[in-house]
Amino acid sequence: MEDKKVMVHVQNLKKNFGKLEVLKDISIDIQEGEVVVLLGPSGSGKSTFLRCLNQLEEATSGTIIIDGHNVTDKHTDINKVRENIGMVFQHFNLFAHKTVLQNITMAPIELKKMTKDEAREEGMRLLKRVGMHEKADIYPSQISGGQKQRVAIARSLAMKPDIMLFDEPTSALDPEMVGEVLAVMKELAAEGMTMVVVTHEIGFAREVADRVVFMDDGYIVEQGTPQDLILHPREARTIDFLNKVL
Amino acid sequence: MINIVQTYWSMLLRSMGQTLLLCLLSLIFAMIIGFIFALMNVGRNRFFNLVGTVYVDAVRGVPLIVLAYFIYFGLPSGIKAMGIQNFRLSALSAGTIALSMNCGAYMAEIIRAGIESVDRGQMEASRSLGLNYNKSMRLVVLPQAIRTMIPSIINQFIITLKDTSILSVIGFPELTNMGKTISGNTFKSLQTWAIVGIMYMIVIVTLSKVAKRIERRANRGR
Repeated sequence: MEDKKVMVHVQNLKKNFGKLEVLKDISIDIQEGEVVVLLGPSGSGKSTFLRCLNQLEEATSGTIIIDGHNVTDKHTDINKVRENIGMVFQHFNLFAHKTVLQNITMAPIELKKMTKDEAREEGMRLLKRVGMHEKADIYPSQISGGQKQRVAIARSLAMKPDIMLFDEPTSALDPEMVGEVLAVMKELAAEGMTMVVVTHEIGFAREVADRVVFMDDGYIVEQGTPQDLILHPREARTIDFLNKVL
Repeated sequence: MINIVQTYWSMLLRSMGQTLLLCLLSLIFAMIIGFIFALMNVGRNRFFNLVGTVYVDAVRGVPLIVLAYFIYFGLPSGIKAMGIQNFRLSALSAGTIALSMNCGAYMAEIIRAGIESVDRGQMEASRSLGLNYNKSMRLVVLPQAIRTMIPSIINQFIITLKDTSILSVIGFPELTNMGKTISGNTFKSLQTWAIVGIMYMIVIVTLSKVAKRIERRANRGR
């Protein structure tokens, strides 16, 4: 494997909520184009870790460098860095007062990345890509969960991010809608997008991940290829967790 | 009763006009005050939070009539004591200030509650795309908050319209004050106050009907 550039560099990240230590000491490097899946029981800190990467949660201490920008440094223009970090949420968080297409075009237009016409064109292209172009002019309340999540992915992609964060993107979906969202994510991975995914979909991890990271109690317990970690886990906590979910 | 209407109709209408003027001015300023203090309260700046809380608590903790007396009588005498002689506050200005402050405090709470009713994920999604706090507030949170606020705001409008009557105590020639004058002149209390009451009612009922329509329209696209 040739040397790729490090997209995410995290060193000794700690995050407390009041007295509660959620992330105790996390260090990890993620390469460009890598798909990393975070597994772990609820409360293990994986969502918090993901939210620290784009500073939706402020790190208590430690360093996070994304694509060369130190996001834990107060002098960094975090808004500028966030433009290049897409995020997909468990509950979609589509803007309820905007149509599907407006959801996608708002940020590129407001941040002067594109003219209105360009944004609309790009928005329609992205909607076509996630199979939602026929719903461009209706409101999020009128589409299903799986459709919402596909639109949310398209919304993030409209900013042309270098990395995408997925925070349990299928956990709020009815089982029959999980597949359509995972399919879009697989496609993205195949195109070489750098992805960090928090999920309980072990099947997705096995099929798509380059690396699986198991977290528990604020630490990274174990990491490796899906083959290694899922089929041949070493740590007792990993084995215990996998036994419960498989 | 008809006699009174025949004799005083133009004065009654003019004082109703004054009532509406006072109410309208106060509502405009109250909206501005409300937005400013609500935004102070929902932000993360501790100092602004404190300023917002103190304002809302202070104004809500004082009866409007006391606030009106304070501004109309208290303030000018205080300023005079400081050595400035020519300071005057008209009843309209003092009334508008008192009512704006009062209504503004309630408006701030309505707007704050409206903003907080919008799911946090909306702000987070907007921020994650790279929009700053102010843009996210203006483009994502407030448009959704305003929809939920509309019924409460309209309700507050009606309360403020009725509260203008309290300002009769500082001699502002609004409708209730006119009622006092007319009943004093004619000794026909029952008829006079019935007329005044009906006039308030007509305006308020009309306003609430219009408000209901606005509310329905705002809810349509949901």
